[in-house]
Amino acid sequence: MSTAELYTQPARLPVARSLGASLVILVAAVALIGPLLIPGDPLAQSLLKALSGPEATAPLGYDHLGRSVFHRLCAALMLSPLIALAAVLTAGAAGLILGTLSAAMGGWVDTVLTTLADALLALPGLLLVLIVLAMVPGTATGFWIGLSLVLWVEFYRLTRAATREVLVSPSVEAARLLGFRAPYIFRTHVWPEIAPLMLTTAAFGIATAIMAIAALGFVHVGMRAPTPELGLMMVELLPYWREAPLALLSPAIATFALLLGLTLLAGSRET
Amino acid sequence: MKALTSRLVQAVVVAVLIGTATFVMMRSLPGDAAWRIAAGRYGYDNVDAAAAEAVRSELGLDGPALPALLQWLGDLLTLDFGTSLVSGQPVMHEIAHQLGASAALAGIALLLSVLIGPPLGILAGLRPGGVLDRCLLVVSTGLKAVPQFLLALILIVLLAVQLRLLPAAGHGEARHFILPSLTLALGLAAVNARIARDAMARIADMPFWRFAEWKGLSRREVLMRHGLRNVSVPLLTYLGLQFVTLVEGVVVIEAIFGWPGIGHALVHAIFSRDVPMVQGTALVLGLGFVLVNTCIDLIVRRIDPRGETEARA
Amino acid sequence: MSFLTATDITVRDGAQTLLEPLSLTVTPGEPLIILGETGSGKSLMAQAIMGTLPAGLRAQGEVRIGAHTLSASEPRRFRGLWGREISVLPQEPWLSLDPLMRAGTQVTEAHRLVRGLSAADAKARASSDLGQLGLTAAARHYPHQLSGGMAQRVAIAAARAGGAGIVIADEPTKGLDAARRDDVADLLLSEMGDNGGLLVITHDLALARRMGGQMIVLRQGKVVETGATETVMSAAREAYTRALLAADPESWTRRAPSRRDGPPVVDVHGLSVARGGRELFSGVGFDVAAGGVFGITGPSGCGKSTLGDAVLGLVAPAAGTVTRRADIGPHGFQKLYQDPVAAFPRKRRLGETLNDVARMTGESARVAPLLEQLGLSPTLLERRPGAVSGGELQRLSILRALLRRPALIFADEPTSRLDPITQARVIGMLGEIAMTEGTAILLVSHDAALVRNTADAVLPLGKTVLPEPQPDAASVATAPH
Repeated sequence: MSTAELYTQPARLPVARSLGASLVILVAAVALIGPLLIPGDPLAQSLLKALSGPEATAPLGYDHLGRSVFHRLCAALMLSPLIALAAVLTAGAAGLILGTLSAAMGGWVDTVLTTLADALLALPGLLLVLIVLAMVPGTATGFWIGLSLVLWVEFYRLTRAATREVLVSPSVEAARLLGFRAPYIFRTHVWPEIAPLMLTTAAFGIATAIMAIAALGFVHVGMRAPTPELGLMMVELLPYWREAPLALLSPAIATFALLLGLTLLAGSRET
Repeated sequence: MKALTSRLVQAVVVAVLIGTATFVMMRSLPGDAAWRIAAGRYGYDNVDAAAAEAVRSELGLDGPALPALLQWLGDLLTLDFGTSLVSGQPVMHEIAHQLGASAALAGIALLLSVLIGPPLGILAGLRPGGVLDRCLLVVSTGLKAVPQFLLALILIVLLAVQLRLLPAAGHGEARHFILPSLTLALGLAAVNARIARDAMARIADMPFWRFAEWKGLSRREVLMRHGLRNVSVPLLTYLGLQFVTLVEGVVVIEAIFGWPGIGHALVHAIFSRDVPMVQGTALVLGLGFVLVNTCIDLIVRRIDPRGETEARA
Repeated sequence: MSFLTATDITVRDGAQTLLEPLSLTVTPGEPLIILGETGSGKSLMAQAIMGTLPAGLRAQGEVRIGAHTLSASEPRRFRGLWGREISVLPQEPWLSLDPLMRAGTQVTEAHRLVRGLSAADAKARASSDLGQLGLTAAARHYPHQLSGGMAQRVAIAAARAGGAGIVIADEPTKGLDAARRDDVADLLLSEMGDNGGLLVITHDLALARRMGGQMIVLRQGKVVETGATETVMSAAREAYTRALLAADPESWTRRAPSRRDGPPVVDVHGLSVARGGRELFSGVGFDVAAGGVFGITGPSGCGKSTLGDAVLGLVAPAAGTVTRRADIGPHGFQKLYQDPVAAFPRKRRLGETLNDVARMTGESARVAPLLEQLGLSPTLLERRPGAVSGGELQRLSILRALLRRPALIFADEPTSRLDPITQARVIGMLGEIAMTEGTAILLVSHDAALVRNTADAVLPLGKTVLPEPQPDAASVATAPH
């Protein structure tokens, strides 16, 4: 949605934000430390144990091919969040640079970039990601490029709107009259205004990206088996819901916890 | 007028973007693209080297990229989408077939979401910080954190698998609409309830709201006469932008519920590298967004005579 | 006979008392003026007797409106009286009309829904009301198509449609210039007539003088003085009231003209500026002497601020020249803004901002003495712009500009958001700076009296025919043509 129409409201309780941060940290800690405490291979199969319950070396039981759900989950929790993070960093940097440029230069640079961004807004992000996936060899690379292409628009629009507003403000006019130059003005006037927006957008962007990777995995057009990926794990385990509910619930709960954490961390801004 | 011009520019840029992307996609197809396109046109049995060669020269597949791209875009702008590489049917025909099923699903989902979200949002926004507002905040935050496929999965497991109330998949009967449209609607309502809530809270804090009360109007009169109309402007604008979310949802939901719509077709087309289909579907979706938002621009202008509203994408 | 009586009204925020017990009586045909600066509690008092205090504030006391007796501690019960017994004129009439509804409808709905007329009668009454106010054509317009003055009259018609006998006007002249202010005062008086009640809350001395009637002067939640408006304004008993009256630019003593020597700091010749295809002014010429105060005044929209910006080179002229004295560097012209909060980076401590400037100009040693000279506490430097009062922040803006040792400071409505006493102080300081630092001041204000009593020479700017500049000016201004 348009940045000029930001529905600003009193920042949600910091409690919600810190709760969000703790959820994200918790999930990350499980994914990072879990395999160190309980070593195991997410790809190793032992068909004899298929769909059997938890045990010491596999705290969440086994899937239909006898792979440890815990280790697959930990691997999955490393995979899509890392792709998402990479995409958000790329998109954030691109959006920040292009948005500042657009606001500062105006003219045809602004017109071209804004027209491009407006056109991209009309395209469903998943569609763009799917098209890129079809062209780029390597699914992870495809997701990174595709998601970056989708996510930069929001960073760009926010940066541009906020920067434009700051640049025409009396405080920047005063700073220019006093003799300050562009780098100082960016550092002390522009950046403090857009930094919180960047953080919020980044958290939303990571959540969006994780959702996209999982959704495409779930409908079999994203990551391919046997890669441990959240959406793929859920769709694989869905037919065995009655036999091994824990095996299906654990990726579902982990995904929800991670996304809820990111949503809370982002605070209240609707996009 | 200015708004319409910029919408037109948006439509053209969308078409060119999709055309270019699909052109690159076609060029990067593994194997002999000309052969596959010819096969799509004439059927696999009727393809021979001559037919493939004809396609190759027609599309300039071997030539330099730029003229070929211009040729490709030229075909696109004359609405010549070609034939599906998979079914051999004209793309326009295939899309016309699938669009109805998707539009029905999306329309019902949108209607449901508008019946759920904004009324709750408006009630919450009238008393910011009240019980309803807090509850709505918790529920909508929670719902926003559930991806649509996960919501679908939960609903399937609960209502179809465990309780056996509804069919998990299928198409044709009214009851088949319930699960997919409910899944879509809940996700949309979670967000448009927040939009309505924020707009309502903002409007109820404005001087004209207070003045309407001071004039002696009752709460209900103030809401009906001065609240709803003002809330509708940002809400409509937002619903227009939500079109993209709706389409994304439709793509995923159709794939899960086996719904024979345009999203389903798109996923298949990309999967089987059916470039003309991808192009046709993507174009319909992209131009659909522009069309929907143009209509909303016009409606909003009728409601809000102040001219260009600031919220526009 | 009286129909609005409030007895022992208090307003509290938790343990803190914001308004100490106050009683008042509004009698028919005689306006009651509540005069006070920001924070005096005058608006809280109005809100308490209307039942519209913000959540968290508690009022006590008894309010009698017509035949109704209410307790200020039960604000809900006031709602039924709105529009029927008391009506309120909002502070900002433009923002108080629904932007998506035609002006006529906003009056009609009150006739129909509050007074209970039939749809046809309500419509007829609304158009006759608007006709009496000279707004026949405006009925079909949306608020954004109305001028500020028209919006004010539509708001008056809408507020009065319910048939209330008592009108409460909260800062009815906020943001209006002098001519419009008098119109509003006359309109309020004629609406009141001989039998209506009128309570006016204002900080505007000129408005109070024109309204007459009775007056209550408030300061920091306490009553300072009461009496007939004329008596209070001509022979105030309390020192605070006298200070408040003396702060009115009308009653300032005229500043002694500065010595004029050396070449002018800036020489403006044949200047024209256009905005959005419309010419704001043309053929303006004047020069500003070092250490002199040059004033520009005129109604809102006449282009006086733009003229200042053109002198600073912030706006490109359509024609004419602005020539700086040859020895003035690129940063020799500085500016003070109407809203000082917006003139500082929002999230940076004021001390950091000033240090950045001082380091750049090599004037770090001057910060402390200037703080003292301007009467500012060094502890202010720890705060961010939003946490400092407007008067202090405007003085910090002056300090910041002085760190550049400017040849000229363009002060753009520097005190229009300040209370009268603070305004007098800040303007006084600008005059002193012109004297001690030799800095030229280009003072732009809508307040003709303020400019007249401060500047060595005045350029009146207006959309129509402009009067000749004062012939005795130390600095020569040529009339625009």
